[in-house]
Amino acid sequence: MARLLQFFSILSLGALFCGVCGAQDLHAPSNVTAGEDVALPTSGSGKATFYLAGPGISQKNDVTLGEEIRLSGQDLRYAGDYTAILCSDTCHTATFYVTAAKPASVIFLVHPSRVPVGQNDAVSGVAFPFDQYRNLITVPENVNFQLSAKDASLWPRSIRTQNGVAWFRANSGKSAGPVQAVASLDDLSAKRAVQQVASDPCNLRITGQRTPNGILVQTEPVHDCAGNVVPDGTIVTFTATGPNGKGTVDAPVKQGIARAKIESPGTSVISVASGVVMGNEIRLGAQP
Amino acid sequence: MTRQVLKKGIKRGIHFLAAVCFLFIATAFSSYAADGTVQVQLDVKKAGPRAVESLTERGVLRDYQFAWTNMARAFEFSSPDLLEGAFSGDAKQELRQTVSSQQRSHITRRYVDQSHQVEAVFYAPEGDVMELHDTAQYQLQILDGDKTVHDEHVVVHYIVLMTPAADRWVIRELQAVPQF
Repeated sequence: MARLLQFFSILSLGALFCGVCGAQDLHAPSNVTAGEDVALPTSGSGKATFYLAGPGISQKNDVTLGEEIRLSGQDLRYAGDYTAILCSDTCHTATFYVTAAKPASVIFLVHPSRVPVGQNDAVSGVAFPFDQYRNLITVPENVNFQLSAKDASLWPRSIRTQNGVAWFRANSGKSAGPVQAVASLDDLSAKRAVQQVASDPCNLRITGQRTPNGILVQTEPVHDCAGNVVPDGTIVTFTATGPNGKGTVDAPVKQGIARAKIESPGTSVISVASGVVMGNEIRLGAQP
Repeated sequence: MTRQVLKKGIKRGIHFLAAVCFLFIATAFSSYAADGTVQVQLDVKKAGPRAVESLTERGVLRDYQFAWTNMARAFEFSSPDLLEGAFSGDAKQELRQTVSSQQRSHITRRYVDQSHQVEAVFYAPEGDVMELHDTAQYQLQILDGDKTVHDEHVVVHYIVLMTPAADRWVIRELQAVPQF
């Protein structure tokens, strides 16, 4: 009999204890999207204190147990982990994740801003999709990259994001001029401009003539191997070898042509170079 | 004889002082290790398309560690100024908002015994952005004034975007995700 009483006493104490345990509870939502309103159901009765700690928020409110706790989308606009805590006699915790909403913008980085034509893997671009709250979208999305010049598409490609990023590398085109790089995702797009410039000079040719003050040499219009005029400011080096030795003059290209005046009274051989590219040589007789 | 005893006494005194100093330093160091240090391990082997050079790796490691140390202090003391320098853009704005929300609600957070296993998964062709995956472990404590309302060891996965600034790498995006 005594043992039976003891058993019932333990049973009733256990039931009481479990009753206290179940007096309050908090249920976390399983799937929350950034910016959405959420209701957290609670159980129990009486008053309690509710805490919410997450990215961008640290909140404390008095709540009534048994009623839903409503969280506004504004409080849950940042993707990340949130900790919800409900305290009355004891504290109960529920954690949940907020994931990014649908794409609202594309961050697009393109390099370089100026690129010589005809270079392999010279242009690169990186795109990150973000939602309207500036959360990185980590679920795979298809980003369409397109390089176009003068309304002609040079390089269209669709690349799926991996870990929230899509990227490409491309060769530069054949013609100097502006190229538009576009990254688009659904109806969103981001545009960047790349200026293609002529590559190294090719087939450098010079002409020269004696003047009363020395020798005047000039290049023919300087082009790269694809026929693009090299940009102004490209340095061309003229070298004169005569009886008095060797002398060099650097001259910048202006409107496609580089000119220099060289003082060399005797018979002279003039050569020309730009970077590692050599041009023709000319021989001029001594000054009369 | 007296001189020898005196010498022995001085020697013992020095040893005692050295032992006390060692104990003091060791205690101070271990308490700092328990509360303040941030353990970070960075693996850059899988980073691409650009390879991460060792100097860059060291810089990222140093600046990521610095960022978490400062972020933890900013949250513990509700001091937004501690976020300067290590964060930029959206990450900085979000963290500042968290701190200002803490100041209003008088809630603080502590990240104790932090350990970060970080893997670089993307390094842009031109080296202007790096994406890291961080599996972070720490004791997350949430305090209402002096009262601890939450104390739990957590494992959190973070996606991080870092970009090079003038003299350091800064965090532009710090986002926890359920899994990688």
